[in-house]
Amino acid sequence: MTLHKSLAGAVALAVLIPAAALAHHGWSSYDAEKTLTVTGPLTDVAWRNPHGEAKVKYAGKTWAVILAPVARMEARGLTQAMISGGKPVTLVGYPRKDGLTEMRIERVTVDGKTVELR
Amino acid sequence: MEALAAALQASPLGVWARGSDLAYPVANLIHLLGLVMLIGGIGVLDLRLTGAFRRLPVEALWRYLLPIAAAGVCLLVPAGFVMFAADASSLAVSTVFRWKVALIVLALANAGAYHLLWRRRLASWDAAPPLGGRLMAAGSLTLWLVVAALGRWIAYA
Repeated sequence: MTLHKSLAGAVALAVLIPAAALAHHGWSSYDAEKTLTVTGPLTDVAWRNPHGEAKVKYAGKTWAVILAPVARMEARGLTQAMISGGKPVTLVGYPRKDGLTEMRIERVTVDGKTVELR
Repeated sequence: MEALAAALQASPLGVWARGSDLAYPVANLIHLLGLVMLIGGIGVLDLRLTGAFRRLPVEALWRYLLPIAAAGVCLLVPAGFVMFAADASSLAVSTVFRWKVALIVLALANAGAYHLLWRRRLASWDAAPPLGGRLMAAGSLTLWLVVAALGRWIAYA
């Protein structure tokens, strides 16, 4: 194989794989055209990495709530205590495009304080 | 297997990997540094052994790049294990993750076989490059790139 051919092959691989991966970026799984606003108590709050999780009742179903990494939430002033214990929390987020009852949260409002998660 | 994953997830390591605000992101950074060292080292060596960069001496590249790649693996494995511990139960049943692990085993076996089959022929590599050896080198680079891509894909599958 010549230098040029083997280099071209390597470049093609290096370009193709990340391009395909980008097409599946995390936010693209959620439909940003459909904004959901839910107010209610959160249950099963998991204050964890790579991102916090919880459950909330919405439209008669239990939805999985996808929050942000712990360090980001705490840096912006959101703590586990604020969203635990059955306090009413307002979530603004986007549902999954594939219809699963899961929403990724853009911002959280609790105790009169709004925290952006994105 | 899945019981083992659940036990790991519930272990102090798993609890720490999830709960600490720094453990996961730092493990992620170390994993990425390891990946850069692995692909940067083995990738250039694989290209050379496939037939590129013929002005560079094979023996010297082998001697200097292989330790960088091996050091990369030594960062990748423990950092990856920390991230695995955080989410072991769901990762253990993830198709993408299982493919990733299988291809890592294949890539390591390929590297081991390469040593056994071709290490002694490196000095005369350019005079009579063995087709099998060149294919294995190309396979090595391909496998590691696919492993890296699958690793990134886990989060989106």
